[in-house]
Amino acid sequence: MNTPRLRLRRPSDPGRVLPSALKLGGLAAVLALLVSLPFLTGSFYVSLGTQALYLGLFALSINLLAGYGGMITLGQAGVSGIAGYGLAIFLTRFNLPLGVAMVAALAVTVVAAAFLGLLAMRTSGVYFLMVTLAEGMVIWGIAQRWNTLTGGDNGMRGVNRPGFAAVYWKYYYFTLVVVAACTALIALIVRSPFGLTLRGIRESEGRMGPLGYNVALHKLVAFTVAGAFAGVSGMLLAMDNNFFSPASVHLKASADGLLMSILGGMGTLTGAFVGSGVFVFITNYVSGYITRWPTLLGLIFVLVILFARDGIVGAWNRWVWAPLLRRVGQAEQAELAEEAAREVASGLLSGPPASVATKGGPQ
Amino acid sequence: MPLTGRAFVLQVLNGISFGALLFLLSSGFQLIFGLMRIVNLAHGSFYLVGGYIGLSVLRASGNFWLAVGAAALGVAAIGLVVELGLLRRLRGQAMPEVLLTVGLSLIFADLSLARWGGDPQLLPGPPGLRSSVHIGSVTYPTFRLFVLALGALVAVGLWLLLSRTRIGAVVRAGADDQEMVMALGVNIRAVFAGAFTIGALLAGIAGIVGGVFLGLYPGADGEILLFALVVVILGGLGSLQGAMIGSLLVGLIDAFGRELVPSLSYFLLFAPMALVLIFRPRGLFGKTAS
Repeated sequence: MNTPRLRLRRPSDPGRVLPSALKLGGLAAVLALLVSLPFLTGSFYVSLGTQALYLGLFALSINLLAGYGGMITLGQAGVSGIAGYGLAIFLTRFNLPLGVAMVAALAVTVVAAAFLGLLAMRTSGVYFLMVTLAEGMVIWGIAQRWNTLTGGDNGMRGVNRPGFAAVYWKYYYFTLVVVAACTALIALIVRSPFGLTLRGIRESEGRMGPLGYNVALHKLVAFTVAGAFAGVSGMLLAMDNNFFSPASVHLKASADGLLMSILGGMGTLTGAFVGSGVFVFITNYVSGYITRWPTLLGLIFVLVILFARDGIVGAWNRWVWAPLLRRVGQAEQAELAEEAAREVASGLLSGPPASVATKGGPQ
Repeated sequence: MPLTGRAFVLQVLNGISFGALLFLLSSGFQLIFGLMRIVNLAHGSFYLVGGYIGLSVLRASGNFWLAVGAAALGVAAIGLVVELGLLRRLRGQAMPEVLLTVGLSLIFADLSLARWGGDPQLLPGPPGLRSSVHIGSVTYPTFRLFVLALGALVAVGLWLLLSRTRIGAVVRAGADDQEMVMALGVNIRAVFAGAFTIGALLAGIAGIVGGVFLGLYPGADGEILLFALVVVILGGLGSLQGAMIGSLLVGLIDAFGRELVPSLSYFLLFAPMALVLIFRPRGLFGKTAS
């Protein structure tokens, strides 16, 4: 099977040793910090950490679709909401044990995501965005109106944390383990031939078909897989709050996730968590000082789109990492880093233009 | 639950008048997309802000028609500022344009909440249209019939504008081949700004009309946007005809859905959307991709 001609970065490359050592060191330091967080600070910040972790996973699921596959979605909160509601319904209405309820909710989410993906997979670009937005809002509408099943506006209580992780810091570790495992899985997926094909679809959907790739099928699988991860994050959210409500399914929640993933840096694994960290900081901390923090978030959204499409990680690669590599004589690696930063921004521009039937003139 | 003849007629009227409201909204959306290729996801915000501006003017002046004018012009002005100040910087970049409008909708939602509060508000209709009329055995609110007429009027007006006037010719030509139109000496930037402003103006009018029959509340922007998007997905992006047929379909489906299966009425929207996406991904009136 042919792999697309993307540049593969091999660790055996001699010029690669120092940068990858630095990166590994960085990763280890971040992991160490995450593990020691409950020892360093109190329950407030640890809970914020928990939130940043599962929201990061949510943003990462959007990133998997948008950053790697060029499918920018505004309905992902709908998908994660199916898992959140599924868990709540299986727990409180069917009285299933937590483990069984989680598996069942995840299964339902995967099936639903496959169905939603089936409807969306033949569209792309802004049309894909519109379809996913509509799908997400229909799910929100059902959550809102089907009172007997979902409790309507009041939401659902009784989504208890696992017995072994009821205390805040234990739940933090539980979330950390689950999110780390999911992130590792996603890292494997984006580096696999499947992930490379996805990137190919992002760069040029029209060419991947003639090259022998089943584009629609790849998009469907990506949508379903990303939906499963969004589902995991939805369940973590439900258990964290012991509550799930239509607000978590709403378009706003999907837009928040997209904001996190763009703000952090599309098409990067770290970006999602950087974005969720900033988001959690603004919604929980800055909101104590600025009443109109949702306006601030919207403003950040607008400014990022106008001026900083490669996000924080992109800016880091461009302004800190690449110059650093140049200084230690790794010019080639520096170029790769800059290229990666450009690639991040280009992910937002990719996909066919929104034309319906222009005469092929430049858009 | 079977419907009686009376209930049936009532739901048909409800569906068509809601469809007329949806047409007011989606025609502006289509106009903007058809010419500029911008998917304006702030359209729901334009609707809600229009309704709220109308509410404030109505409270201050007591005159409904003045409120309609203020809502239309106020939102048109907002649209003009958004287009000249922000969207123009991103011309031709489809995805950043859409995402910009998403960011704007977050800002509008929050500022509206700050200015007009979180309680649902129902606008009183104009004095002459508060009564009901008898149509056969059905008694029906006059205002809803007025909305129906307004929708038809806008449809005819837009059709005449686009097919019979010079401006319409420029807009149609601009939708097909911008460069050629520019080469012919037309100021396409002004046409773009005009189209976006008119689209916003229609959304503003839809907002105050919607304020009378659906009420205004935080979140109404997202809800109405969903309906507009389903209309557009059914009818086909950029097509005015599509907006008309789509609005009627969605209006009717919603009316009967609310009557027959209230808790699942949103789910009913899904069925036609799914069918169209499977069999005609570009919508009923959408042109096929080049």
